[in-house]
Amino acid sequence: MNGILTIKNLSKSFGKKKVLENFSLNIEKGKVYGLLGINGEGKTTLIRMIMGVIPPDDGEIFFKNKKISFRDDSYKKEIGFIAEESIFYSWMPIKELLSFNASFYPKWNTRKANEYLEKFSLDPKTKIRYLSRGMKLKLGLIVTLASEPEFLILDDPTSGLDVPTRHDFLKEIIKELSEAGTTILFSTHIVHEIEGIIDNLGILRFGSLILDEDFHELKNSCMRILLTSEESLGDKLKFDGIITQKTNGNQSELVVYPWTEEKKQLIENLKPTSMEIKPLNLEEIFISFAS
Amino acid sequence: MIEIDTSSFIPFYEQIKQQIKTRISLGIVKPGEPLQSIRELATILIINPNTVARAYRELEREGFIYTRKGKGCFVTDDSTALIKKERTVILNQVFDGAIEEAKKLNLSSSEIKKIFERRLGLKTEVRKKGERK
Repeated sequence: MNGILTIKNLSKSFGKKKVLENFSLNIEKGKVYGLLGINGEGKTTLIRMIMGVIPPDDGEIFFKNKKISFRDDSYKKEIGFIAEESIFYSWMPIKELLSFNASFYPKWNTRKANEYLEKFSLDPKTKIRYLSRGMKLKLGLIVTLASEPEFLILDDPTSGLDVPTRHDFLKEIIKELSEAGTTILFSTHIVHEIEGIIDNLGILRFGSLILDEDFHELKNSCMRILLTSEESLGDKLKFDGIITQKTNGNQSELVVYPWTEEKKQLIENLKPTSMEIKPLNLEEIFISFAS
Repeated sequence: MIEIDTSSFIPFYEQIKQQIKTRISLGIVKPGEPLQSIRELATILIINPNTVARAYRELEREGFIYTRKGKGCFVTDDSTALIKKERTVILNQVFDGAIEEAKKLNLSSSEIKKIFERRLGLKTEVRKKGERK
């Protein structure tokens, strides 16, 4: 296994509600994995289990090929975690929060923390409760990056923030990627922002991944097909891999994955008057698979 | 400014390659001048640095840029000639396409030549008029 994080057959229910069922995932070292799913599909539950906040009902999680047992904290020092609402001790001044974290993380980089404080114009004497949400996110970023994590989990970190703040955040993530080659699990609702960043894409639905692919290959093989024909083709378009289909009179629109020469031939045999093949961007791929 | 079109058939690294070639051919970056660092460009585009690195690697392999250890990537002296050669190949394809269309219309070689000369004449005249202004 060359995965930094490997999850096997993970299941979790809350009462009668099954949130994750036989969920498996492998993230390779140095890759950026984009995890998408509509609200309530269990992304945060998954991340809370990876972070050891709640135990799974069943299944196994491996970090760097070592099985994680619930209540084992040792691996957490190598994982950085940034969420929408990071939990901070609001009464603490920034300076104290940083020294508190410095004592926890063995690889803590004080120089990096100070550079970031200056870059973001954060006064170390300010108490955390007086920071805005954007400032708190930046502080979370400082704490996380100064700990020099091998693996970074981003759980919808920028939701609800304005565009410039989100961009500042993403730029720092890119910088970290180019300097340290950090492995990242990136979960977000602002889908288009991660289109250029991710190497792999997973879509969570009904408790497991309905899609788990190399993103560049996926982009090459997931296509929107626009057809016009003399008679409606609606009932005749039947083959594997039709993700969505809309027919309106003599016009049909399909999203097909994987798109192959063979399927193209199948459609051509139906003698459409025109056929247009278009690629989809990440947002369109997500909408097609999640609806 | 380099831009990425996420709804294109062309992979992101290829889009970066093509746009850098355009910038070289327009003289925005000249032979001997440096390109932005991988990190800089990745940060501006909010794109995975590996994608930019791939574009640069291929541009280097194809002879458009070269790397100086610790200093970054620079445009080669041959780059403009290489781009011209590459563009000529594309231009040939465009002419081939036009000739094929003409043949579909059963036009003879001399008729095709006449059309070509007339178009060329038109373009040259327009340019001359423009210059006079």
